[in-house]
Amino acid sequence: MVDPVDRTRRIRGRRRMRAADAMIALVWASVAAAVALWLGYGGLSTVSNLGTDLTAAGIVTGLVGTDLILVMLVLAARIPAIDRVVGQDTAMAFHRRLGKPALYLILSHGALLTVGYAMADGSNVVTETISLFQGPDMAIAYLGLGLLIAVVVTSVVAVRRRFSYEAWHLIHLLSYAAVLVALPHQLSAGGVLADGSVQRVYWIALYVLAFGAIAVFRFAVPALRSARHGIRVAGVEQVAPGVVSIHLTGRDLDRLQTAGGQYAIWRFWTGATWWHAHPISFSAVPTASSARLTVRDLGSGSAAISRVRPGTRVSIEGPYGVFTEAHRVAPKLAVVAAGIGITPIRSMLEHSTLRPGEATVLLRGSDPSQSYLWNEVGTLRSMRGNAIFSMLGPRPHGLATWMSVEALAHGVTIGTVFPDLLNSDLYVCGPQSWADLVIRDARAAGLPEDQIHVERFDW
Amino acid sequence: MRARALALSILSSAAVLTVGWQLGTQGQTSTAPDAAAPTTADSVTSDPTATATSRGGSTPSAAATPAPTPTATNGSVSAAAPASDGASGTFTGTSVQTRFGAVQVQLTVANGNITDVTALQLTDKDQRSVSISNRAAPVLRKEVLAAQSANVQGVSGATYTSDAYLSSLQSALDQAGH
Repeated sequence: MVDPVDRTRRIRGRRRMRAADAMIALVWASVAAAVALWLGYGGLSTVSNLGTDLTAAGIVTGLVGTDLILVMLVLAARIPAIDRVVGQDTAMAFHRRLGKPALYLILSHGALLTVGYAMADGSNVVTETISLFQGPDMAIAYLGLGLLIAVVVTSVVAVRRRFSYEAWHLIHLLSYAAVLVALPHQLSAGGVLADGSVQRVYWIALYVLAFGAIAVFRFAVPALRSARHGIRVAGVEQVAPGVVSIHLTGRDLDRLQTAGGQYAIWRFWTGATWWHAHPISFSAVPTASSARLTVRDLGSGSAAISRVRPGTRVSIEGPYGVFTEAHRVAPKLAVVAAGIGITPIRSMLEHSTLRPGEATVLLRGSDPSQSYLWNEVGTLRSMRGNAIFSMLGPRPHGLATWMSVEALAHGVTIGTVFPDLLNSDLYVCGPQSWADLVIRDARAAGLPEDQIHVERFDW
Repeated sequence: MRARALALSILSSAAVLTVGWQLGTQGQTSTAPDAAAPTTADSVTSDPTATATSRGGSTPSAAATPAPTPTATNGSVSAAAPASDGASGTFTGTSVQTRFGAVQVQLTVANGNITDVTALQLTDKDQRSVSISNRAAPVLRKEVLAAQSANVQGVSGATYTSDAYLSSLQSALDQAGH
């Protein structure tokens, strides 16, 4: 007999998977559509020799590159449907993977067209570049290319580490400018998008869609939501050295419809903190009038917000995230939390309906100071009849493991902690490199990908 | 599940591309006869492949000018007064063929002064040529009106268009006895 809850979960999981697959297909179909429209308007008939071959290739790389950049904007727009299906972090991982290919395509677009035109005009590349530069809207198009290079270069991991998040983010915002200043040359110099063609209408619609999504979901919705709920700091409570719980008050906070395990991006409006938005998980499911966040001072920004005074105005973007009960697919639940990773775990468990014996929770800390919120997990109503284990102690030196020295000595493995692992959803939250090791062990034990749920804390 | 996403992507992309490609080839078969018609009517071509190969480059000139001979056709003078000093009227320049299409201008003269230059036809082999022409023509017209002759600098980045424009203009000026 199949439990109805399990069946609902499986059906929901399959539906999400279908939606995710459809989204991926949509991305590639949009690339195909860019090329197909060009073909449909007789793109191939212009090809007759090497020069025209290069020109045609230059047009196609430009179209595909632009399409990918618009896809990247859509992925970064925090569209609720995308967040619900795959999660904003997965969407952003895909966004990052598209960055370099898109830049290479746009660079090829410029290079191929310059060479192609030079061959057609019987001139050289330098002369052709100068003549292109004088074309309509071309100067700002080159400016757009320069901005795009700056954005991608600063986002390469090695380079990004040299910048503060704010500096990097400021440069990254230039990508909006890069895309916008490149638009006029597509409509004037770019003969492909000629007046009155379906192609022109299609491309303008894509631009409107991408920038519209950003305007609505990244700016309008958060602004309206912040105004509507009037969130303020009620108090800051130290729960462990360097760890504070921030209590918030506001109007109708339950109407945010936050699911346990979600996070939001918070901005505290004081002189020292307003310019830094922090992604912080809810450590409790909000009530109508209150919400709670718990944060560890990992960066200079988080240290500053632990000093915010009661009454400080707070704005919210979110809630976001798929680290929730709604994303479960298996009958049982296995949970591993380490350090500050307890926060989304706690609210996720609070928001879950669990049968006795359904869940096994392992709380991990390198010393007793990291056991904050542990007692709260023990008193959650959903945890009645469910097992909670703790594993305290540092990890051994020079060994890639997520467990303590002591546990390792006793022969503990992920399989002994969670005997029914393969029949479970595994929820992992903690420092990135530590969480990766938990996932490594789970995969090695044969746990399918859709049963692994992980919350990442890096930007 | 990744396999399904991949299959779905390949299928949808292939479908979209096929439709685009079909439309592209259909568009050509339907426009090719139209474009080729004036060519075959005016100059009898013994080579049957000529119509098929001519679809790219010569289409614009074939459609717009009755005689697609590459060298100058004598322009028609539609002026009330014959060409003389201090002439007035409208003079059509010769159609000058370039690799990017034909260029032909019409000159309006009043009492020996150039009052207007209208482009009857500009390089339009492809969309890029069109955009270059559209940029160059107003600049050339302004220069000509200012200089009152065809002796002006061409527009950089639009060499072919400029040269053909000025040479067509010169032929019109010759007719006007300017």
